[in-house]
Amino acid sequence: MTIQLVLITILLLLALTVVRYMRAPRRARLIVLCVLGTGAYLVWQPNHANLVAHLLGVGRGADLLLYLWIVLTFSVILLLYLKIVEMNQMLTEVARRLTLLNPISPQPGREDPMRPRSDSDSTRP
Amino acid sequence: MGAKAKGLHVVVPAYCEAEVIADTVAALVKIFPDVIVVDDNSPDATARLASSAGATVLRHPVNLGQGAALQTGIAFALDRGAAYVATFDADGQHRPADLQAMFRVLLDERVDIVLGSHFLGNTERIPPSRSLLLKAAVLFSRTTTGLNLSDTHNGLRVMTAGAARALDIRQNRMAHASEIIEAIARRRLSYREAPVTIRYSDYSLRKGQKMTGTVNILVDLMVAWLRQ
Repeated sequence: MTIQLVLITILLLLALTVVRYMRAPRRARLIVLCVLGTGAYLVWQPNHANLVAHLLGVGRGADLLLYLWIVLTFSVILLLYLKIVEMNQMLTEVARRLTLLNPISPQPGREDPMRPRSDSDSTRP
Repeated sequence: MGAKAKGLHVVVPAYCEAEVIADTVAALVKIFPDVIVVDDNSPDATARLASSAGATVLRHPVNLGQGAALQTGIAFALDRGAAYVATFDADGQHRPADLQAMFRVLLDERVDIVLGSHFLGNTERIPPSRSLLLKAAVLFSRTTTGLNLSDTHNGLRVMTAGAARALDIRQNRMAHASEIIEAIARRRLSYREAPVTIRYSDYSLRKGQKMTGTVNILVDLMVAWLRQ
């Protein structure tokens, strides 16, 4: 079938990209290649996906993949969200330290206290 | 009390408050010599005006949120050896005289923290929707922390250096108010509430929290809970 050819071609191109361009530990690349290989195999032999699905009590292999996909996607979104929160905390820490390095003393009546320090710069490296 | 406000550093988080910050700072420095305005990277003249009015100004290099601004100011005050730290809103809704009275309560009753409550005091022009929202917040805090407070989202607070150190605000945006109450419960800090008068001016209402902000706060709190 045409769709099988299209999908397998895409998976093959992806595998080539991984081999040539993915800069990651050997183990990570191997895992990605295994996933791609499994995908290609199941595209070639969809009945085997059905077999696994039946074993788990799901009607079709495609449905099993859909369910797994949903669960995986949600997990990844959640993990990414927590990661973003963590990075935000790191950004806050950096910004705070930077802020604390440069306090601006009270300058009553001064026109533009935001860029004063031509005379006081000597205290800074 | 007059000159006895020594050792108390007042932290004022501010974002785009150019209209009112000079008045707020000027009123504060008359009583409290150490006023720290944390400008959360406002694009307007907030920092310049606060500095001219007599405050020490800290300016965030990027906009981080009110909770982050409070924590920056508190960290700075503690670095400077403050014995007491107060938090005060920039938008002109608080009265320095109330803070003075709260500071006296803190010293007289030897508690860790005194929280302003406008349900105990007078409130000028509070809109019904705002009142309802604040009461819901009170109920929320009561169920999650067990503390029996009449007002959990009041920006006017005064505390000892020890209590300020224990707070460690990590909620950058608006959920920090609940976070502070939670820290009081967890660290078993002793606390009092003191009546304060809130002036809801057109300006402060325009600037204040919208209903939609509540949803953001709940999401922030849920993420914090997930990460525990």
